[in-house]
Formats: sequence, C-alpha cells, structure tokens
Amino acid sequence: MRDSEEKIVITGLGVIAPNAIGKEDYWQALNDGLDGVKKITQFDTSDFKVKHAAECSSFDAKEILGKKGLRNIDRKTLLLCCAAKMALDDAGYSITEENNADIGASTGTTLSVAWDMLKFTQEMVDEGPNMVNPALFPPTTMNFPSSQMSIKFGMRGFNTTISTGYTASLDALAYAITQIRDKRVSASLVCGVESLSISNFIGFDRIGFLAGINGPELSCPFDQRHNGIILGEGSAVLLVESERSALSRGAHIYAEVSDLSFSFDSYRTMKYSRNPAGLITAIKNLLHSKNILSQEIDSIFLSANSATIQDYHEAQVVKEIFRDIDVPACAIKSMIGETISADGCFQIAAALGAMKNNKIYPTINLKKKDPSCDINVSKKSRDKKQDRILITGYGPGGHSAAVFLNKYEK
Amino acid sequence: MRNKKRVVVTGIGIVSSIGVGKDAFWKGVINGRSGVRNITSIDVEPFKCRRAAEVKNFKPQEYINPKKLKFLGRTSQFAIAAAKLAVKDANIKTFSPFEDKVGVMAGTTVGERPMEEIVENWARGNKEKVTKQKVLQAAAYNISDNVAIELGVKGTSALIPTACSAGNYAIGYAYDCIRSGSLRFALAGGAESFSKIAFAGFQRLYAMSDDVCRPFDLNRKGMMLGEGAGMLLLEDIDSAINRGANIYAEVLGYGLSCDAHHITAPNVDGVSLALSKALKDAGLKPEDVDYISAHGTGTPANDKIESQAIRAVFGKHADSLYVSSLKSMIAHTMGASCAIAAGMCSLALTEKIIPPTINYQTPDPECDLNYVPNEAIGADIKVVVNNGFAFGGNNCCVVFGAV
Repeated sequence: MRDSEEKIVITGLGVIAPNAIGKEDYWQALNDGLDGVKKITQFDTSDFKVKHAAECSSFDAKEILGKKGLRNIDRKTLLLCCAAKMALDDAGYSITEENNADIGASTGTTLSVAWDMLKFTQEMVDEGPNMVNPALFPPTTMNFPSSQMSIKFGMRGFNTTISTGYTASLDALAYAITQIRDKRVSASLVCGVESLSISNFIGFDRIGFLAGINGPELSCPFDQRHNGIILGEGSAVLLVESERSALSRGAHIYAEVSDLSFSFDSYRTMKYSRNPAGLITAIKNLLHSKNILSQEIDSIFLSANSATIQDYHEAQVVKEIFRDIDVPACAIKSMIGETISADGCFQIAAALGAMKNNKIYPTINLKKKDPSCDINVSKKSRDKKQDRILITGYGPGGHSAAVFLNKYEK
Repeated sequence: MRNKKRVVVTGIGIVSSIGVGKDAFWKGVINGRSGVRNITSIDVEPFKCRRAAEVKNFKPQEYINPKKLKFLGRTSQFAIAAAKLAVKDANIKTFSPFEDKVGVMAGTTVGERPMEEIVENWARGNKEKVTKQKVLQAAAYNISDNVAIELGVKGTSALIPTACSAGNYAIGYAYDCIRSGSLRFALAGGAESFSKIAFAGFQRLYAMSDDVCRPFDLNRKGMMLGEGAGMLLLEDIDSAINRGANIYAEVLGYGLSCDAHHITAPNVDGVSLALSKALKDAGLKPEDVDYISAHGTGTPANDKIESQAIRAVFGKHADSLYVSSLKSMIAHTMGASCAIAAGMCSLALTEKIIPPTINYQTPDPECDLNYVPNEAIGADIKVVVNNGFAFGGNNCCVVFGAV
C-alpha cells in the first residue's frame, strides 16, 4: 500500500558542474558567482560562430572512479557515474547483497545520445555496416548511462531513464518518489546528466538558440543583453529515500522534497509556448496541494536560461504567483549554462546548499536588468534564512515543472 | 492512507506489420501471420541480413492533417496514429474538461527518425542537409509530445527510453499516476520506426536471423527487427464504468528490476526478480497466472534465460502455463514491442484466445515450456503477464487481469 504521508528526503549529493566538482565547492562557486563558461576545448568550433560553452573542463573520471573499467565508456556515462559515486558516498549508503534490490535509479538525460549515434554512424559510413565496432551500439540507446551506473554500483531495484528534455531530471525525481511511495524500493538515485559534444552544438546552432548568434556570447538571464543560451554539461545526482529508511540508517538529511507538480502546455515541440500558463498552473497546483501561501516561500530558483522569451516568461510567472511580495530569486544558469536534462538536479543540489548556509545565490552577468524582467535577482550573494525553496523547470516545448523543498523537521 | 483507484484498459491502438488498428492486428495474430518481408525502406545492399517486419501500408494522412506531416518524424506519426486509434476505440470524443488530468507516456529505443537522418548527413559531410526543420524533429521527446499536442493533452507528457521494455515502463508509470489520482486518463505505450543504426547494431552484436524469427525453437538463429506502435488508453475504473466504456482488461500491477550485470546479456536473476515483484505488486500467487506473453526475441540467450526464469519463479506451475512470443510474427519492434504485446494481452483476455508462437518446429531441451506452437488456442484465461527485458538489464513485467 502506498503511504502518501511518508516523507521523502534527500540524504546524498554528488555534483560535477562546469564551475566546480563536489557539493562544497559547488555551493562555494555559486555563492562566489564563479562563471563556468569558457572557450570550448572538446571539439573544433570552426564551423560555428559561437565558441563558448560551460564545459566541465577539470573533470577527470579516473580521480573519482579509479583507472579500471573506464575504457569504452562515453563522457556522459562517466559524468553520471562519478556524480553517483559521490552521492552514494555522501549519503553513506553502502550497497550490499541484502539491500541491492531495495535501491533504484531514475535518470534524466535526453540529447547527449546524439554524439554516440553520430560516432556509430560515422563508422558505419566509413567502414561499412558489417565492420562497425559492436561496442559502439549500446551507447546509442538513451538508457545506457543509467544502466552502466547500475552495473557499476550493483543497484537492482529498478532502472529508469526519462527523456523529457528540459524538465527530465525533475520528471525523474517524480518517478523515483512514486516508486518509493508505492513501497517498491526504499531509496533511489535521482540523476541528471548531459554531456557537451559537437552533435548537441550543431542542433542548438541550427535552431538559433545559442547566445552569440544575435548578440554577445553570454549567459545573462534577465539582463538586457540576453539573446540565447550558453550550452552546459555535467551531472548532479541525489540520493532520495523514505524518511523511515533515512532514519533507520542514521543518515544526515539535507531536506524534504515536499512535492512536485507538472504541466504540459504546447502547440509545437521545441517552440516556446505563447505564454507561461503551464508553469503558472504547475506552481499554483503545487502551492494549493501543500497548502502553502506564496509569502511563506523564502526564495525561488528559476530555470531562466538567458533566452529572451524564457527569461521573460519566468519573470511573468514570478509576478503572477507572488504579486506584490518581493520574493528573492536566482538563476544559476548564469554560471553553469543550460544543462538541459541535468538542470533540475543541478538546481536542487544548489538549493540544498542555499538552505544549509542560508544564502541567496547571485545571478551573474547582470549589468542592466531587462525592464520586462523586473524581479528580485541580484549580482551579489545575499544572506537570508532559507527554509522553503521553490524551484522551476521550464523550456521550449511546453514542459513545466515545479518542486518545493522544505527544511527537514522530524 | 488513500484509497487506490483501479486502472483499466478501455482503448487499444496498434500500428503493426501485420495490421493497422486492433481488429486487423488481432486477426493477424490469431491466424499466425508473419510481417517479415524483404526490406524496402533502406538500401540493404551493404547489409548481411535483408529482411525485417516493416509497416508497409501505413497511411499517416488518415490520422494526421497532411499539412502537419512534414513536421513529424515517422516514429511520431506511428505514435499519433496508435494514440488516435486507441482514443477512438475507447469511444472518447474529447478529453475536455479533463485535459489537465490526461497524460501521455511513451517508450522508445532509438527515438525519432530525423535524428538518424541528421547524424547520417553529418557523417557523410552533407552538412547543408542538417536543417533547422530536421533538428526541431530530432529529439526523442517529440514522440510523446506530438501525441500530447495532437490530442490536446495537458497533464503530462513523458518519454521513457528504456529500450526494448520501454512500452511496459510507460504502462507501469501511467498505472501509478492513475492509481494515485494524479491522472484520470493516460495514453501509454511505445513507438519505433525502422532504424538503420539498430539494424546494423543488432547484426553486429547478436546473431540476426535472415529468414524468419523462430523464438524458443532449437534452430532459432536470432532476432529480427520490426517497427510499429502500440498505445493503450488507460483510465480509472470508476470513470470507465460511469461513461459505459468497454473494458478490455485491468492492470493489476507491475514489477521492475535491473540486472546490474551486463549491458547486453540477459540474466536469470534479474528477470526472475522482475517477475516475482510483478506478482507481489498485483497481490497474486504464481498459480494465478494463466498466460505469459514472452519477451521471446528469438536469440539463443534470451529464450533460454527467459524460460529458466519463468521456471524459477513459477515452479511446478510453469508446466501449466501458456507462453508465446508475438515477436515470432511482428519481429522485434523494440520500444513498441511491449506496448503492442500489451494490446495483444488485453485482447487475449477479452477474446479468450491465446496467440501462438509461429515458426516453431523443433523443441529445444533448454526451453521446455508450452509455447503454443503455430496455432492459436482457446482458453478461459484470467491473468496474463507481459514480459519486457532490455539493454542494460532494464526489466519490466506487467500483469493484466480479466474484468
């Protein structure tokens, strides 16, 4: 039987971000306004006008996972496995013969698979289909990274990949919570991962979404100069479990996931909706279901990504929900870029630090605010008690999500 | 504790190589038709195998405004057609005013066809053919999102790419969302169009049969590739009864597991775990099950491992079970396979007919169950398990019951 009253808590955290590796460094980097955007080194950008992205350039999987067994493992899978190991270690969760069917994995990832499809196809074109290296085939499936992770750490409860694009890791969180509430498992890793590659870059370049095509190459949400996204990469992984499981292990609890809400409001895939009605509905439903008044929220983590319409939509949402309440907000994509399916977990990981240290993170590259985005963001870090944080997930295509995190109380 | 809602299947939409629409499909199934033919959608010259189960006579304009077709990849077209067939079959004219309580959950393995076209053009140096319009159609989530857009669905749209068991994952998640009351209706299933990457990849990875697919047969040569889509309209039983809907079957529960063993090799322990969790979730004993719609890919390893796992979980009752593989007829439709098979399971429960495993000639001592060889049989079945296993050991078994 499902126990809808059972609290869902976060007890572990692993982060490989463009501006930091590890939770403490990540929180510090966000608080310091450390910019993760730099010149792209992973591929030749001579075909493109845009030259910058938020790469995890100091990332070295060997340092985290050891040297063994990393051959033939692609970048997104390495990013994911490293963040997962950090999350399991952070939570002090050891996987044994006895509990390995009691922990699952729910992973949001969408676009990075294009690189593996390109690699396979390139070899098929160059060598002929009967000569392709068979080891290149499994990574062309979207569930490969999560499956490799489960093999690496021996997690047998379930393994699910969700590929809804910009909200994927929040969708993955909702999925994991369902599995825990329905008592199919007591814990789950909730993961978001995307890796940077030429294939993703081609796509975003062709559809004109990148900052730098029509303006400065800058991730500057809510600033007048915003003109598109800076592509990011990385992985953030949370260990999520039932309160009972966490307490029985004597685990440290970061926060409670109070609830999530979703909506789908689209007229064309990959296009922004005419207005953010879907996100407004998602947030209103969330506040209503948890009986929360908007004035009780300490800050809001926005998924604003420096695309002019997205920033404008999110600002509109804040005004619609909070009216005359001047709620502090931040947009971490100003520092880590648009990490697409990893973003939801990156935002939650950031919010846990904000809650622990009672900080409101800066939104960097904010020189002159776009007058149509007149919300309470600041280029400097601020101190304020953070017990209740709202997080948004939004993007072109009509997927909207909202998550509400609570400071944990027994 | 909240009261859980019961979840039923009230609409079935199928696009398959042996028939489009549930009636044509079911007729094909009970007559043991094979959809495997010579491949016509790609140039097969460079490949060793030249046969697959393509959907040859699919007319997307019957389901989709012809003006929109150029914005939709073939996989989305299959998914939309299957979803519209399911909605029509369920006799639903509109979801209004409940559109906020409707979700789409779709599974796939490869994703959208335009993604393959883009990477092939880039790999061949035809960079100018990588156009904005193709890129807009390339992401896998187009499949579920396009279904949601076409049907005016506003609750949620989730693309679950857990490879060859993805259709079952989608049905399982939809079941959870309806049971908890967060959705009232869901379109759950999967879609896959013929993929050159998968065609080449499977040939390099496993044996691929070059004539027909013969699951569980001693002389099985391997899997074969197919394409198609299956979508079920799921709703809570009160809603179904109130609107006087025809109920095919009830979703009784499902079981997930991960092999955590090997990325491509199946594993008895992982499969057994999914099967036993499914029974537990449905509150059933092994003896309650009458029929298993097998994953049955026709590879030497899968069919042996699956038979062993069934024996491990069902014990002596394994000898009384019917087990058959739809893949003997429509080949392996990957992300669509569990969804199409789920439609078949629902129909089997209503029609009281068990579909056969065709191309079965020589028993394999390592596969020693009743595979319903070559001819459908009538039987008063009440509980069916739909097996789905996948790359990465992502297993999901769904249990359906007669209402």
